[in-house]
Amino acid sequence: MPPELSVVLAAVALPFVAAVSTPVLYRLLGERTGYAGVAVALASFLLLASQRGTEGTVGLEWIPSLDVALRFYLDGWGLLFAMLACGIGTLIFLYSPAYMHGEPHLARFYTALLAFMGSIVGVALAADLIAIFLFWELTSLCSFVLIGHYTADDSSQYASRMAMFITVGGGLFLLVGLLLLSIVAGDVVGPDAAFNLAAMLETPEAMAEGLREQGLFLPVLALLAIGAGTKSAQVPLHFWLPNAMAAPTPVSAFLHSATMVKVGVYFIGRMRPILVGEEWLFLFATLGLTTMTVCAIMAVAATDIKELLAYSTASHLGLMVAGFGFTSIYGAETGVFHLLNHALFKAALFLVAGIVAHEAGTRNIDNLGGLRHDLPVTAIITVIVALSMAGIPPFNGFYSKELLFEAAVEASHHHDIGVLGVLYPAVAVFGSVFTVLYSLRFLSLFFGDRPDALGHVHRPSTTLVVAPGVLALLAAVVSVEPQLAVDVIVQSGLDATALEHHEMHVSLPTSYSPPVGMSAITIVLGLAAYPFYDRIHDGLNAALDAAPLIAANWWYDAIVGGLTGGGALVGDRIHNGLLRTYATWTLLGTCGLALAGFVAAGTVASSELIDFDAAPAVALVLLVAVVAGLAVALSDSHIAGVLTLSILGFMVAIFYILASAPDLALTQLVVETLVLLIFLLVIEEIPEYYEVSLGKYARDAVVSLAVGATAFITVLVTTDARPEGSTDIARVYAEQAVPEGGGTNIVNVTLVDFRGFDTMGELVVVAMAAISILTLIVMRSGGDDE
Amino acid sequence: MMTQLLTTMTGLESTLTTAGIEPTAPLAAVPGGSESGLVIAPMLVVLVAAVASLLLGRWPRVRIGVSLAGGAAYAVVVAAIDWYIVLAPDAPGAATYQVGDWPAPFGITLVVDGLSAFMLTMVAVLGIASLVFSTRVLPEIDRRSYYFPLFHFLALGVTGAFLTGDLFNLFVWFEVMLMASYIFVAYYGGPQHTRAAFWYVSLNLLASAVFLLGVGGIYATTGTLNMADLAQRLADPGAYGLDPTPVVGLFALLLSVFAIKAGLVPFQFWIPTAYRAAPPQISALLAGATKKVGIYAIIRLSFTVLADADVPVELAVPGVGTVIAGDSPLAFVGAALFVMAAASILVGGIGAVGRDSIEGVLAYSSIGQVGFIALPVALAATTGSAELRHFAVVAALVYALNHTLAKGLLFLAVGAIRSATGTSQLSDLGGLAGRSPPLAIGFFVGSLALVGIPPLSGFFGKFLVFDAAARAESAPLLVLLLVGSLLTIAYATRTWNRSFWGARTDAVEEASVDVVQVGVVLVLATAIVAVGVGFEPVYEFADTAASAALDSEAYVDAVDPVEPDDLGTGGGEH
Repeated sequence: MPPELSVVLAAVALPFVAAVSTPVLYRLLGERTGYAGVAVALASFLLLASQRGTEGTVGLEWIPSLDVALRFYLDGWGLLFAMLACGIGTLIFLYSPAYMHGEPHLARFYTALLAFMGSIVGVALAADLIAIFLFWELTSLCSFVLIGHYTADDSSQYASRMAMFITVGGGLFLLVGLLLLSIVAGDVVGPDAAFNLAAMLETPEAMAEGLREQGLFLPVLALLAIGAGTKSAQVPLHFWLPNAMAAPTPVSAFLHSATMVKVGVYFIGRMRPILVGEEWLFLFATLGLTTMTVCAIMAVAATDIKELLAYSTASHLGLMVAGFGFTSIYGAETGVFHLLNHALFKAALFLVAGIVAHEAGTRNIDNLGGLRHDLPVTAIITVIVALSMAGIPPFNGFYSKELLFEAAVEASHHHDIGVLGVLYPAVAVFGSVFTVLYSLRFLSLFFGDRPDALGHVHRPSTTLVVAPGVLALLAAVVSVEPQLAVDVIVQSGLDATALEHHEMHVSLPTSYSPPVGMSAITIVLGLAAYPFYDRIHDGLNAALDAAPLIAANWWYDAIVGGLTGGGALVGDRIHNGLLRTYATWTLLGTCGLALAGFVAAGTVASSELIDFDAAPAVALVLLVAVVAGLAVALSDSHIAGVLTLSILGFMVAIFYILASAPDLALTQLVVETLVLLIFLLVIEEIPEYYEVSLGKYARDAVVSLAVGATAFITVLVTTDARPEGSTDIARVYAEQAVPEGGGTNIVNVTLVDFRGFDTMGELVVVAMAAISILTLIVMRSGGDDE
Repeated sequence: MMTQLLTTMTGLESTLTTAGIEPTAPLAAVPGGSESGLVIAPMLVVLVAAVASLLLGRWPRVRIGVSLAGGAAYAVVVAAIDWYIVLAPDAPGAATYQVGDWPAPFGITLVVDGLSAFMLTMVAVLGIASLVFSTRVLPEIDRRSYYFPLFHFLALGVTGAFLTGDLFNLFVWFEVMLMASYIFVAYYGGPQHTRAAFWYVSLNLLASAVFLLGVGGIYATTGTLNMADLAQRLADPGAYGLDPTPVVGLFALLLSVFAIKAGLVPFQFWIPTAYRAAPPQISALLAGATKKVGIYAIIRLSFTVLADADVPVELAVPGVGTVIAGDSPLAFVGAALFVMAAASILVGGIGAVGRDSIEGVLAYSSIGQVGFIALPVALAATTGSAELRHFAVVAALVYALNHTLAKGLLFLAVGAIRSATGTSQLSDLGGLAGRSPPLAIGFFVGSLALVGIPPLSGFFGKFLVFDAAARAESAPLLVLLLVGSLLTIAYATRTWNRSFWGARTDAVEEASVDVVQVGVVLVLATAIVAVGVGFEPVYEFADTAASAALDSEAYVDAVDPVEPDDLGTGGGEH
């Protein structure tokens, strides 16, 4: 059954419409604007839910000339992600008014949050490469605005800029990947389907083959991986995510754990049918498992509860990426199922962290403990979701982690990957041990003794507890009845990302299998290591302090800081404030271009031009001019130089007379005289003498020679190329001057008639020159507004 | 009038006959039709506005009124040109006005085709925004300083450059532009403004001399200044008895002049100081309009005039081998543009990250952005595929459009910030977003358009340029574009964070923002969004413009210069 266009559009557009009207809504509702958000999110959720079971493409035209359309493709995978976003969005909007009570910039906050929700629904459903990119970038943009929520706060600004730089920068790589993909799609699927992802997914094998034939398979894979990797915080570009915790906690829960950071994972799942293969396995399994392990370790080293959860999020994103990386059916099952499970438990954990920070006034792990007395309901919620995060049976996180182990073990059965076949399962277990460790540590906030530093803890308001409570309840339902979740939504998501249909069954294991053994090892090791948690934590931090190079932040700071300093330096070095430098570059650039042009075209001047056969008078005039030119360069005072220069000018005037151009000669004489006078007036203001190094002399000599040579060669070759006799234009002018122009002086007729338009322009220039003098005088005498 | 015309025609006819020249349709053709008058109309409108505002100096309010009316009339005329000459279903696609009724190539021809219409439209939008903005900045000063007449003269120069079909006439409009912008750079009269103006005028006068050398050489070599005539002569030099080979070197001279106007490295030196010195609403025009004149001239001369020239080029560098080879001078132009564009993207992008004032960032950004515009032009010049060439020119035009809107908006925003706070130093700013949310929204949209976030106009510029590079399957180009775009993100976010976010400074605390100024900024922001959301018609216009730029034959047909057969013989025999 095909989806309903109007319903899909409404689900996507509703949040945007609400976002645009938020400033007005905020005037009316104030802090209760969040509850309007609940209604919007719920409405979108229900609209999407009504389309469950449909499949197909609907869309609107956008740019027909480029075959770009606002296409939407509905299937289980897109619907799962979109509904997840709206569902969690509903709870976030419910949670926000109480949490953000009394905070500044709430109108902007809700605008960005609503626009974000629309974007995430858009990216989940879009089936056009450009539409995907549109929504993809919009999510990054909303993230930038929301991370920078506390605009006066340095860490907010630092983090928001970092997130923008990494995610939007990664988006550019994605764009290039998409464009390369579209080139292949234009050939394989059809010229009008170049951006139609839905059409590409219908023929995944042909697309893959087309990509390989054009040698674009690896570039596309790599570029899409960079795009997805930056968005989903994969090592080594994971570092923006922990920094993004500068955002208010509802944002962290919504964007930076449950939805936006999963866009990369979502997209990997989306592209999986086309690009899957041995390279895919190698790239994503390695990337994912590395991220999972590194970030799990970093989470253990964290000292702040949000930082711990942020690293944990990156680690779990790695798990999903690794899951999709494995080519077996278990891999796809891991990715799809864990996407759901992680959203449920991690969003809840962030909301719990928000409650703790809000009520206890601190996020420092060392200063927290024994909170179960103050926050009993929250403690129950935390038990469920933290154990789920740890992957302890029977909680829901266990099932998807079990699937990852299965997929890791299976990998060597499908592909000949040598030692990796052992390494993958080993790393998966190793990373998971740390997951158990930090999950228990988070749980321990509620148990044990209250630290002395912890002051009074307030009771959270009901709406703060409802949101994580609902999530924990859902997690509990999935824990008890995982097959229910599979039947409702996961199975259809699996069908879209897996290569073949496979009935998915999830239940607690009843007999021994390698994954069961791996889970057992993980949990036992985790529990065994937990008593040494503080030592591990301290050891890791000591190692990080000792070697800053392994911290990703360090690299970012070095690059961005270097860029800023380098930018200042480059600017000041190149634009050093010396006109000499500027003129040198400009002149050498011009000469280089022109000479290269002459050489490239093979322009040659015939040798007869070199023969000098001018009349003796002309020869004498030119000789004097040359001597004067040399004398200018050699003169030792400004006055002598200027006077000598005017000899050169007057020689040119005489040359004009000899060449039968009396009007030119007259002009030249006037200009020359004026220039001489002005020079003599100005010269007073110029310092008499300044030191010039030998190198500068050499440079000036080179520039002068280059300019002289260029001008000389230009005149030489053009004179040589000039056809014999007068041009057609000169001929017509001569013929028409008297009868049509009504003047006997061709120059005059040309100036005022044939090319009178030029003269008009030049008159404007002269008029402006006069105005400019007036203006400069007026402004100098105090018109300055600065 | 009509009789005069007729006598002119018959007179011309008889002399031509006596001179042994067969009078034919082209020579006798009277430029007619309603479109013809439209072609010169925008120039007349700005000229009248300029002169009127010059004469009305005693009555500042009237002067402003006349200036605004002139701006409105200009907009109407440009819109009429767009519709009746280019976009309407039955539009001719191109129209000419032969000044003084002298047939091409003897007189000066003005030409409107898709390309000039596209550029005119772009400039009209920004020009009017800047004009309205100006009325809120300088009324007191202008009473004595001729701001508005100069503003219109600047517009006259830009318009003339887009319309003229004559190489020397192009030089004249360049001079008009130069003179007007020279005064604007020096306008505030302080030492830094005077210095900036001195550098600006020095480098541009060098360029003028080079321009003359090139134009003179081209006339000597080909015997014509009319661009259409030039195109037809270069395509078939044998028929005219020409040796066209020097044209490549001569065009290289012109290329350096256009590069100075466009601000491509290594001809960009005047930009940072001039953009900082000029009033911001003028810097908006310098970056948005006069820069585009350089780009327009490169596109027009490369593709309309030079593309079919029968001059193979080959350049070998010792030790490297052949670096340039092709059947037309375009191969050379393309290679030169590649180098300049790449250097511009890097120098502009890196330099922008380290600036300490918003104008400084914008000025360096302009150097980088023009690299992004020149890069697809270079690609179009070097590719062998007609389809890719067309696509790359479209990409360059769309990118140029976005740069005009976005950079114009940002400079106007700087003007608003300076009016409100008296400063644009990043160190003195902070927390502007809280002080004036509408201004912040405008600036944010402009910055995002530079970065290329969809669905803004900037995205499509970036998308098309990236796509052109991808279609060319050029990995180095893609890497360059990626690096340049990353640099854009770096300086855009830095500028935003340091001026609009952060702790509110005293200057910002005491700021009072002008409603009209912010209104103008928001109108441009709306335009940026509208161009992106409704991109289809914009794309079609750019597509038409690119076709016009590349269709040398249509251009020659429209101008209809006298052909050798009409003159009986080749040029060399008289």
